[in-house]
Amino acid sequence: MLLAIDSSAGTSAAIFDAGQLVSNVVFDDPFGHAENIGEAISEVLGKAGITAKQLTSVALGVGPAPYTGLRVGMAAGISLARSLNLDLHGVMVLDAIAHAETGDVVVTTDAKRGEVFHAQYLAGQRVSGPSVISPGDLVVPEGSRHVTRGCDAELIGRYAISALANGKDLSDVSALYLRSADVSPSKGKRVSG
Amino acid sequence: MEIRELLTSDLPALMELERELFSSEAWLESSMRSEIESSNTYYVGFFDPDLVGYAGLSSVPASFSADIQTIGVSPNSQGKGLGRKLMELLMARALSLGAEQVLLEVRADNEKAISLYKSLGFEQIDLRKRYYQPSGIDALVMRAKVKQPIVLGIESTCDETGVGIVRGNRLLANALASSMDEHSKYGGVVPEVAARAHLESIGSVLDQALSEAGISIDKVDAIAVANGPGLAGALMVGIGAAKGLSVAHNLPIYAVNHLVGHVGADVLERGSVQLPTIALLVSGGHTSLLLVRDLLDDVELLGETIDDAAGEAFDKVARVLGLPYPGGPQIDRLAVDGNPKAIRFPRGLTLPKDMEKHRYNFSFSGLKTAVARHVEKAEDQGLELNRADVAASFREAVVDVLISKAVAACKAHGVNRLLLGGGVVANARLREYAQEVCDREGIELRIPRFSLCTDNGAMIASLGAQLIMNGRNPSGLGFSAESTLDVTEVQTP
Repeated sequence: MLLAIDSSAGTSAAIFDAGQLVSNVVFDDPFGHAENIGEAISEVLGKAGITAKQLTSVALGVGPAPYTGLRVGMAAGISLARSLNLDLHGVMVLDAIAHAETGDVVVTTDAKRGEVFHAQYLAGQRVSGPSVISPGDLVVPEGSRHVTRGCDAELIGRYAISALANGKDLSDVSALYLRSADVSPSKGKRVSG
Repeated sequence: MEIRELLTSDLPALMELERELFSSEAWLESSMRSEIESSNTYYVGFFDPDLVGYAGLSSVPASFSADIQTIGVSPNSQGKGLGRKLMELLMARALSLGAEQVLLEVRADNEKAISLYKSLGFEQIDLRKRYYQPSGIDALVMRAKVKQPIVLGIESTCDETGVGIVRGNRLLANALASSMDEHSKYGGVVPEVAARAHLESIGSVLDQALSEAGISIDKVDAIAVANGPGLAGALMVGIGAAKGLSVAHNLPIYAVNHLVGHVGADVLERGSVQLPTIALLVSGGHTSLLLVRDLLDDVELLGETIDDAAGEAFDKVARVLGLPYPGGPQIDRLAVDGNPKAIRFPRGLTLPKDMEKHRYNFSFSGLKTAVARHVEKAEDQGLELNRADVAASFREAVVDVLISKAVAACKAHGVNRLLLGGGVVANARLREYAQEVCDREGIELRIPRFSLCTDNGAMIASLGAQLIMNGRNPSGLGFSAESTLDVTEVQTP
């Protein structure tokens, strides 16, 4: 039994059994991750009628996504999986979004500060990205569609199940920020004129 | 029927009942008085409207053991379950004091009492021949084990990722990862850097705490987490991890106040926090002066910094002097050879005009600017700068203002205890000066060991345990990160 968790947009959790979706809980609030993460996991277990001890693996959306919210779901998934000795898989959220689409797509999600996270897929393979770009620099090639939407746990779970079945390595569960922590060392300025 | 703690004024009624019940084996009035007045005992009575039953418990802090001293119910009120109620009150108190066992002695011929004690979980562990005199009756020594809650606490308010585990008042583990080195090139804590480091460390710190405690997560009874005050992004990592654990293992969760956690750390050192106390918490993020009358119910903020925290001032002045981050230890080292009276730097908010609004508040930004001006002036005029004197004089100004205000608060509130906490407590001069002033003023100074003074998970676990030991309900699963959480909110519901 797989638990998928995503807090890249809203806060969501989903449970899959033998590849099939069993239950799904989504909180849309883009700012309520810390508040909602416990309820999301607790409710999705309740709806599936299982306890966490029956889980066998956890799939986490690892970004790219706004950092503060992203980390909440990841922290919950890491502590849950580690303390229960479960397999932990990291899913790049743009891959999960693209996986749910057919045909060639360019996927973007909101990166805040007037920018978007971006990746391009041809025949189901990522050919560029993930990267953070200005919307003005977005190129959608002939024959491709532009998909822009938030991710959720159901997409993360579906992607993880398929990727693992195809032997893909999802063992990297570090957060994907794509930006540095945005600080430059201060030189210190004079106080007297 | 009224149940309340016994006072010295109850002594006459208490002695009358004591003599009626125990005749020649009754305690002397002087013994009874010292029992009631001791700070290590808990005596409770039933009034209807006169005293009809009483019982007493004794426990020395940090002994992890409590003794039932006496219990008695007036003949007319026996058979109504009063004895059981009294015993339950004492057992609840033993739990809240951190006792892991409760001991008692009972006359071997008192079958009714023995069966009551057995029903409460007591077992005979010893026999004392002819213990009661003059009757020569044997005493059974009985013991009940008290299950103290095992609590795992998570701290992530600033740059330390801490996971601590306690069982009642006993420290089992205090694992820590710090992102301090990553902040050094910025000269101060960068919130995003801290939050990223928390996420990277939380899993391994969790594993480390469990292995240090030598227990598996299945043995843990509850999760506690600091949900404020602190850096929002950093707090949320700890909260996410705590909620994940709570749901995974179906454990109650307690959202607790980081600052009150600092005050409660002394429980792990001494078995209790001596109250009331003034608490001065000084770190890179906080400079707070608290009046604590009760750890769980009555914490009052007397004052705090209105600009930089004291630790921040050390970091900024270190930078002015060309010293690396963190500034505290660097300035401490440089100041050793300096004259603390060489330069009279300003003491923020100590002028008479500040007393009305800012009696217990602190300000360090003016001090930092004064140091910078001093250094720039020397450089501009090509004078040789005695950096050791600057460091010593700056440090003296910070320490002077911190301790003066804390001691003023002790005096104004008639509280002769001062507890220090927070990372700046590592500063040698702060500890030395605090001791000097407290000795002079007759104030008892408490400084927990350094690993419990800096931010750590054990103090969060300990505050969670205190809440459980005192019968408080867990927090709801929906609590949030509160970066400016008020110190009066010990637990977020």
